[in-house]
Amino acid sequence: MIHLGKNTTSRIISKGIAAGHSNNTYRGLVSAHRRATGARNFTNCDSLLIGQECGAHTVPYIEAKNSSALFEHEATTSKISEEMLFYCMQRGLSAEEATALVVNGFVKDVLQQLPMEFAVEAQKLISISLEGSVG
Amino acid sequence: MTALLEIRNLHAEVAGRKILNGLDLTVNKGEVHAIMGPNGAGKSTLSYLLAGKPGYEVTEGQALFNGLDMFAMAPDERAAKGLFLAFQYPLEIPGVATLTFLRTALNAQRRKRGEEELSSPDLIMRVREIAKDLDIDAEMLRRPVNVGFSGGEKKRNETLQMMLLQPQLCVLDETDSGLDIDALKVVANGVNALRSSDRAMIVITHYQRLLNHIVPDVVHVLAAGRIVRTGGKELALELEASGYAQYQSEAA
Repeated sequence: MIHLGKNTTSRIISKGIAAGHSNNTYRGLVSAHRRATGARNFTNCDSLLIGQECGAHTVPYIEAKNSSALFEHEATTSKISEEMLFYCMQRGLSAEEATALVVNGFVKDVLQQLPMEFAVEAQKLISISLEGSVG
Repeated sequence: MTALLEIRNLHAEVAGRKILNGLDLTVNKGEVHAIMGPNGAGKSTLSYLLAGKPGYEVTEGQALFNGLDMFAMAPDERAAKGLFLAFQYPLEIPGVATLTFLRTALNAQRRKRGEEELSSPDLIMRVREIAKDLDIDAEMLRRPVNVGFSGGEKKRNETLQMMLLQPQLCVLDETDSGLDIDALKVVANGVNALRSSDRAMIVITHYQRLLNHIVPDVVHVLAAGRIVRTGGKELALELEASGYAQYQSEAA
């Protein structure tokens, strides 16, 4: 995200999911030009871990070339816990359905910004790529 | 009367520690059983074992649910067969609206039983009806499951799910904890509305208070992993007066 003009604002929401043995890294540059006074950015970076062997990493780059820019960064990492899956399964969901439900809840902020057709595809893609990741 | 749940000589451990020591319990259709007992007696363990929580190992004994071997089934199968556990500490599921959760759960169970899924308008109507009885407003149904709910809201949400799913066997694990008197009444009314001749309930609690509202047919005292005494509803009153101390020494 590069801020060139005065009083410009931007927002980044990143949702990363790591399952199995995968690692997920967020790298994001937010930069304010010398003349972009009063620039504002808010970055929200959430990671979801599925399983014991995966990891999430967040590496924000911030480049402020004037002293009035205000950049905020917030990061969370959460895990799909066995307890949460058990709760869903007690209500009748299979392990895979439970995982898909929790993951869809996690990515909701992002998916609801997408046009309908994309959102549906993205949702399907997520459930396909998570197939078999719960043991 | 037909036995809905039959537990025979149940021994179980959690993380290598023995919690249940030869527990026997028979629950017939139409009955409400209360299980009382001191902390650490194995009350919650029993409820988790019935529901199939990972980490809870059965080392001996068996449980028949409608004649089927319960411990051979996965947690979701047990749920579809009609077992419901109202959690003592319901979990939060961020980003998933309560109504979505209700729909997913109900339809997952119906699919497993080979029934047709319920359409959204039908579901919404049914949920609204139950929600009205439980003092749950529509705004709460839009919020993510249990996220930021008060203790009372969480327990009412559990009751809502129970009333929607219409289970055959309801296990209520300390449903009274964290409830004020008014909320307790609302929840108890919901539970009482579910009482019927083809459904049974197991109510786990520390206190007599809940049993004033949900009147049990049978009261059991669970201590050191076994049922040490069984009686009618007057047993709960006696316990309230005398405490659990005598049973703890007896069991040891």
